Amino acid sequence: MTDLALELVSVTAGYGDNPIVREFSARLYAGTITTLIGGNGAGKSTLLRAIFGTNRHFSGQIVFKGETIEQLPPWERLKRGVGFVPQGRCNFPAMTVEENMKMGCYTLPAGRHVAAIERVANSFPMLRTKWRTDAGNLSGGEQQILEMAMVLLVEPTLLLLDEPSLGLSPKMQGDVFVTVQQVARTGVTVLVVEQNVRGALLISDRALVMEQGRLFMEGPAAEVRTDPRIRQAYLGGNIKQTAA
Amino acid sequence: MTVDAVYLLQLTLNGITLGLLYALIAVGLSLIFGVMEIINFAHGELLMLGAFAMAFALPVMGLLYWPAMAVAILATMLAGLAIYEVLLAPLKPDEFERSILITLGLSIIIIHAMQYIFTATPRLVDTQYGFEGIEIGSIRITWTRVIGAGAALVAFGGLYAVLRYTQFGRAMRAIAQNREAALMVGIRPRVVARNAVVLAAGLCGLAGAAISPIQLVTPYMGQFLIFKAFALVIIGGLGNIPGAIVAAVALGLVENWIGGFFEIVWQEAAVFVIMIAVVFLRPDGLFKRGGMRVG
Ligand SMILES: Nc1ncnc2c1ncn2[C@@H]1O[C@H](COP(=O)(O)OP(=O)(O)O)[C@@H](O)[C@H]1O
Ligand SMILES: [Mg+2]
Repeated sequence: MTDLALELVSVTAGYGDNPIVREFSARLYAGTITTLIGGNGAGKSTLLRAIFGTNRHFSGQIVFKGETIEQLPPWERLKRGVGFVPQGRCNFPAMTVEENMKMGCYTLPAGRHVAAIERVANSFPMLRTKWRTDAGNLSGGEQQILEMAMVLLVEPTLLLLDEPSLGLSPKMQGDVFVTVQQVARTGVTVLVVEQNVRGALLISDRALVMEQGRLFMEGPAAEVRTDPRIRQAYLGGNIKQTAA
Repeated sequence: MTVDAVYLLQLTLNGITLGLLYALIAVGLSLIFGVMEIINFAHGELLMLGAFAMAFALPVMGLLYWPAMAVAILATMLAGLAIYEVLLAPLKPDEFERSILITLGLSIIIIHAMQYIFTATPRLVDTQYGFEGIEIGSIRITWTRVIGAGAALVAFGGLYAVLRYTQFGRAMRAIAQNREAALMVGIRPRVVARNAVVLAAGLCGLAGAAISPIQLVTPYMGQFLIFKAFALVIIGGLGNIPGAIVAAVALGLVENWIGGFFEIVWQEAAVFVIMIAVVFLRPDGLFKRGGMRVG
């Protein structure tokens, strides 16, 4: 549990001329689930985008498997094993599930597509039952599973998940959490942003707390869960954040 | 006014041919719009370049139709590649206004450069098929029209297969449907945009080559075509490729019917009257709008 999967060294990132995430440093350990907690607009999505490379990097290092990747474009990071499932619906709605899966294989050599799709479809039997349905006609939960499946096709060693349970029924939220745990058990390092903080802390090994783009607290999930400030801000009856 | 059935049929056949050639332009425009979210106002000029390339290649190739057409397609694809690399690649995703100015400016520059080099004198293009054609009863349709229509149909079949069954084509639909998801699966947007522009330019080259023995070739022949093609893309439902094809063939028909029975000015106005009517009645076009649907 001490193998380093990803190290962020004072990362500053944002959009255009606006740095949103500031001097953010953290470590993710191989095969663990880390949850990233923070209020609305704290910069959680911005941090995940920075790790995948779809927004502007200002300064700092992102070290993945001993290599600094912050200057690489997203497809190069994907090839090295960084997978990212963005927030909200992120699939090809006018393509069938099958076509979406084929697109998921985009960076793989053609000879590996069939085997990759077979492997991932076996872990998500739901997909097979909807194989010829347009992704846009799936339920929110099914689309979320599909999006995770599309990224898992390339066997990433680091999986970034942005609010995978957002907008799902409580039952589907549970299914998504179980799926995340299954994925982590195969050795994949997971960094997950969750609006369901309680649920996410329960399946996570560690937690990072972000406030206004900066690291506010980090530690084992069990400790963060019992911290009075976290309990009050994120786990109380009132979900409204106090940006103290 | 009595309607002569043979005359009507003749107009209809000519209309379908013309419509299929319009469709090639409209589809290319739709393809570039889907992938890059820009309107290529120099699209008609690519057709004109294709027509000129055909006009110059034919005598060199001993008037042989197919080799000259291959040269014309290749030439426009190269022109498309150059336009992409020099002018379009530097565009950022949210620079729609700049893209209008750049492509509109390019269109005007190409027209005037061609006029300066080759003069505005209309050219009559002769091929191995001359003005021969097939005659069914008293209907006559020239081979160049039949072949032009056939080549367009084959091109649509090919385009459909590429967009539907290859990763190369699927990536274009993917970007049109969800840009962030395209990045998620590792698509390189600029490579795909370049492919789309070159592919669309090739379709223009095909259309230009096919149209050159049918219409007079001038530096201005593409000028109004872009607006027609744009209207067709709107009528067909933005991003809906079969919709654009259906709208284009329908326009070819309507134009020929109107041109056959009314004054020629109505022929040119028809498409825009229809477009405005469609935009008012069905703001999203006649067919389902969507992230580059192919079926
Ligand atoms: N695409 C974008 N362009 C510019 N600013 C953005 C963009 N996305 C988010 N922001 C800004 O960045 C800040 C953090 O947003 P985000 O990372 O989405 O927060 P979170 O995911 O924690 O809710 C917000 O102030 C938001 O307005
Ligand atoms: Mg977010």
